Amino acid sequence: MMTAALLPFLAVLPIAASAATVLWRNPTWQRIWLLAIPVLTGLGALDLLLQHRETPVIAENVGAFVPGVAIPFVSDTLSALMILVTSFTVLMCLFFMTITGENRYRLVTPLVLMLLGGVNGAFLTGDLFNLFVFVEVMLLPSYALIAVTGTWRRLGVGRTFVIVNLLTSTILLIGVGLVYATAETVNLALLVGAGSDPRTMLSSGVVLLALSIKAAIVPLHTWLPRTYPATSASVMALFSALHTKVALYALYRVTSTLYEGQPPWIMILAVLVGLSLVVGSYSTFSERVMRRALSWQMVAGVGHILLGLVLFTQFSLGAGIFYMIHHIITMGALILGAGAIEQTYGSGRYERLSGIIRRDRLLTIGYALALMSLIGLPPSSGFFGKVGLVQASAQAGGAWQAVFVTLIFVGALGSLVAMQRLWVGVFWGPDMEDYLPDSPETGRGATVALTDDVRVTPRLLAPMAVLVITQLAMFVFAGPIMQVTTRAAQGLVDLQPYVQAVTG
Amino acid sequence: MILPITVGVLTAGAIYLMLQRGMVRIIFGLSLLAHAANLVILSAGVTAWRGEPFPDAAGAADAGDPLPQAFVLTAIVIALAVTVLMLAMAVIGHNDDTKRMPETGETHRR
Repeated sequence: MMTAALLPFLAVLPIAASAATVLWRNPTWQRIWLLAIPVLTGLGALDLLLQHRETPVIAENVGAFVPGVAIPFVSDTLSALMILVTSFTVLMCLFFMTITGENRYRLVTPLVLMLLGGVNGAFLTGDLFNLFVFVEVMLLPSYALIAVTGTWRRLGVGRTFVIVNLLTSTILLIGVGLVYATAETVNLALLVGAGSDPRTMLSSGVVLLALSIKAAIVPLHTWLPRTYPATSASVMALFSALHTKVALYALYRVTSTLYEGQPPWIMILAVLVGLSLVVGSYSTFSERVMRRALSWQMVAGVGHILLGLVLFTQFSLGAGIFYMIHHIITMGALILGAGAIEQTYGSGRYERLSGIIRRDRLLTIGYALALMSLIGLPPSSGFFGKVGLVQASAQAGGAWQAVFVTLIFVGALGSLVAMQRLWVGVFWGPDMEDYLPDSPETGRGATVALTDDVRVTPRLLAPMAVLVITQLAMFVFAGPIMQVTTRAAQGLVDLQPYVQAVTG
Repeated sequence: MILPITVGVLTAGAIYLMLQRGMVRIIFGLSLLAHAANLVILSAGVTAWRGEPFPDAAGAADAGDPLPQAFVLTAIVIALAVTVLMLAMAVIGHNDDTKRMPETGETHRR
């Protein structure tokens, strides 16, 4: 069904739909577009994923120029898998958005669709400059989304987000310019192994620095826990599924292509990854608000995902990619669950919430399963994610082995205790007596006595429930999924099919 | 030598302005940095005068490198769009300080 010529449409279709929804603003029409486009891109990616069992790489050079000048769109197992998982998670976030009514804010539908188009383009592009362009296409609607669904406070936070991301994009642009100056091409298929030239090694380091800021590696992470929790839950879930994951995907892709293995500064990256693991986990202790605590766990997740890249064996890359998928889905479930609580009781603060375990039993069960997945306890996808990473570290041998296995366990312990604080603060304790209902004039209004009929509605719970069930399915079907991630990792180790498909 | 010096001066000015607290100055700083980035990319091609990169205007040996020019063109458009968006943010925030909120009647109980 999907052919090479149709690859650009995975990016073009959402952007065209975005334009269409700006022009025709009928609410029903907009909602159909909003939910149909992620379904379509997800189905396209699923079809690509099935095709990649026989043909590992499909490439299209747009405009019929010679390879190297043309704009390449390349799909392999990794990019198809990422599009499939992000489209699915985005669909759940948008479903949540339609329930809370945020999609009815002016221009939210076109902005979200444009964001999706940029993300799909960034996953499919085979060219560093186009990576920059698609990252910008992804960020521009985000600058608006962070503020459009909210309050004056969100506008102030939006500034931090814009300034950090714009500065990073400029560094990325300078890096791409320097790569062009030193390697005379920005086509990834032609850049294979270019990192062995010391000049290209330095210039691509600038690209990797920019991607590291976008991925929020410690010590370049501080912008993330300050900006993400200040937006609404559905926008935070969207950002957590898309933004840092695009940067992580690009780090995997660029590193494995340019250096064909471990980059020369692997020691620096290893130290930073270890720091991210621990700093993310233990900084969670300082937070007393649900989504703020989760944002620190995202920093810890970045450390886990990049561990696969640091070790750089086919197995460790596969484990890292598995962890990335698990992290997207589990984080989505946790953030949307926190969003459902905030939507109903008007707050995500530990001290305002208590006794939810007796009020909303289904939510409690789902949240417990998602938290177990975050920490890495069975039965959850996080269990196999962490088992894979521990196994990959153990295979590395030498000092690495001891350090990384210890760090994974120390980090998991920190996450466990920090998430227990969330659990005790929100789900245990005496019954709540008052809550903060939404007020049309002032946003959050005064406290109102809590009546028995105020509960998290099943509709509000549904998106989170779907994500929790998905991560349980990832636990049950971990074997087949690991086969797919191993194939994705193979595409990063064995670059011959990639080069052949692009250069023809 | 002029090009590297210009890039250096632009970057230094950009960093100075970005370290200021006001939003408008930060925007000026980011614009300067975007100019510096564009000059870096242009210098990736040959900076001496070359012929137009069209097949019938100049031979391949005399033509300029079209790719950095295309890059810069794209980057300028993106920088313009982001600058407009940030200027809008600077205006609707009512003051340049991100800590104090304008009086809108909106309460911030959590």
